Amino acid sequence: MMATGDIAPRGNLAARFQEFRDSIKRDHLLWVLLALGPVFALFCIIRVYPILETIRLSFYRYHPTQRSRPFIGLDNYWRLLEDEAFHTALINTLQFCVMATVITLVLAFAVAVLLRSIEKVAPVYELLLYIPVVTPWVPASVIWKWIFDPVHGILNYGLDSIGLPKLAWLQDEHVIIYAIVLVSVWKMLGYFVVVFGVGLRNIPDELMEAAELDGATPWQRLIYIVIPMMKPIILFTVIIATIIFFNVFAPVYVLTASAQGAPAYDFKVVIGEIYQNAFVFYRMGYAGAQSVVLLLFVLTLVFVQFTLFRDKAGLR
Amino acid sequence: MFKERPIVIIAYIVCTIMAVLAVTPFFWVLMTALKPNPEINAWPPHILPEAPTLDHFYRILAEENFLRYVFNSLVIALSSMAAILFTSSLAGFIFAKYRFPGRSVLFAIILATAIIPLEVYIIPLYLMVFGVKMMDSYFSLVFPFVIMTFGVFFMRQVIMAIPDELLEAARIDGANEFWIYVRVVLALSKSGLMALGVFAFSEAWANFIWPLVVVTTKDMYTTELGLATYQRQFFIEYGPISAGAVISIMPMLIVFALLRRHIMKGIATSGLRG
Repeated sequence: MMATGDIAPRGNLAARFQEFRDSIKRDHLLWVLLALGPVFALFCIIRVYPILETIRLSFYRYHPTQRSRPFIGLDNYWRLLEDEAFHTALINTLQFCVMATVITLVLAFAVAVLLRSIEKVAPVYELLLYIPVVTPWVPASVIWKWIFDPVHGILNYGLDSIGLPKLAWLQDEHVIIYAIVLVSVWKMLGYFVVVFGVGLRNIPDELMEAAELDGATPWQRLIYIVIPMMKPIILFTVIIATIIFFNVFAPVYVLTASAQGAPAYDFKVVIGEIYQNAFVFYRMGYAGAQSVVLLLFVLTLVFVQFTLFRDKAGLR
Repeated sequence: MFKERPIVIIAYIVCTIMAVLAVTPFFWVLMTALKPNPEINAWPPHILPEAPTLDHFYRILAEENFLRYVFNSLVIALSSMAAILFTSSLAGFIFAKYRFPGRSVLFAIILATAIIPLEVYIIPLYLMVFGVKMMDSYFSLVFPFVIMTFGVFFMRQVIMAIPDELLEAARIDGANEFWIYVRVVLALSKSGLMALGVFAFSEAWANFIWPLVVVTTKDMYTTELGLATYQRQFFIEYGPISAGAVISIMPMLIVFALLRRHIMKGIATSGLRG
């Protein structure tokens, strides 16, 4: 924003010092330091340090109340390879994550495209679809728990009245994952409808009209114009949705707690395992290794995003 | 986009169904919260309560101490919001409008932490709070939520749109940098601040795993934690549980209803998630 002054001639220390003093004043370096310093320090304390410390912890046996915290190398990681609960959690989380991401994004894309045909009333629909997004996970899951109730739930009442068998939504180990997917899709759909909507509005009308004049069917226009133009946004939403759903915890915590007398099936997820190991059993080193697995997963996704977007500026 | 008549009709049908599905669970939880106990388990279910009552709200707020939880959540969410608005706008201002050595490195360090979820580094955060013996306090509950990477990025975008000439004019009039920050920058980024404020408020209000980890006494429960714990213990009492859910959602809905235009604009410009 401001012109940088000429660099002082070499060797002339006094002039360089003067130049340095000038730049402090001209570029308000003292103010920059005072304003940014504390905020940046907070970032280091609350973000950077804990992230690095998690990695360090994963090489130790660490119990917060025990004095001895020996360095054990990769032992925590070897243990991960044999921990069946963690494997189950990892598989469950991946399955859930893929299902929730695909269903949410496909539905959201369809709704967002359809909303462009009824642009005048679209904001009303977007607003209604956004209400679940602003609802926190805990009450959202609590609401659904009552809907899923095997005996008195409205969902089973619905199934029953159209002649379908009732389901033990939260008690059956094969069904509970669909229940959690259902809640998650319901909760996050509106966000992605709005994000897709932003991208779709940016597709020039002339392009669509020209294709229409050339006789392209709506389906062809969707496949050959809309989807290719939406590619960057689709990729962005895939990354965001995957990270959100891979971190699933609150709905699992709420929905798997005993429901209406019968204990719900204990559906294991990655965050649940980290929580248990770190804060129920206080195996912080081991939980640290599990967190590193989560970190690597997230970083891989980010890496994929960066590679695919390399030439596209304006990352979100 | 697609103006063909059948597509328009399909659009109305599909979008209406989705919107109804999105809203129905809220309707249902409100009805459940208003039904007296015998009606809750009625079969077939009553759509509307025949004898609506506020008993469940009274029970959950007064007898189960939810009023205290709501108060705690409000304290936490409001302090977090204030802190994030301050830190994000200040850092965003500096990154947007000043040149200094190391600027891009510092910004890159901040951005690099953006995508990493709290759950990844929650253990060291907990150990820090544990180490300074601040467990179970407002300080520890707000502590991870006084900064927001996305907030810095977002405010930088917002502030970059403010013309440099305005800042220069203020300087010529003798304003110092802090005065410019308060009277020019903050005043001109109100819409962005509101969108970010709502986002920050709801992040802190809705967070569940952090209070679950650092809170040890019932008096420090947040609404989310209270609701989750209550429904684990009294899983048959759907009346009070539903009332609790309604109470927990209310503040978000009110804020959203009041500021929806700013929020939608925030999403449109930056992918802000509410």
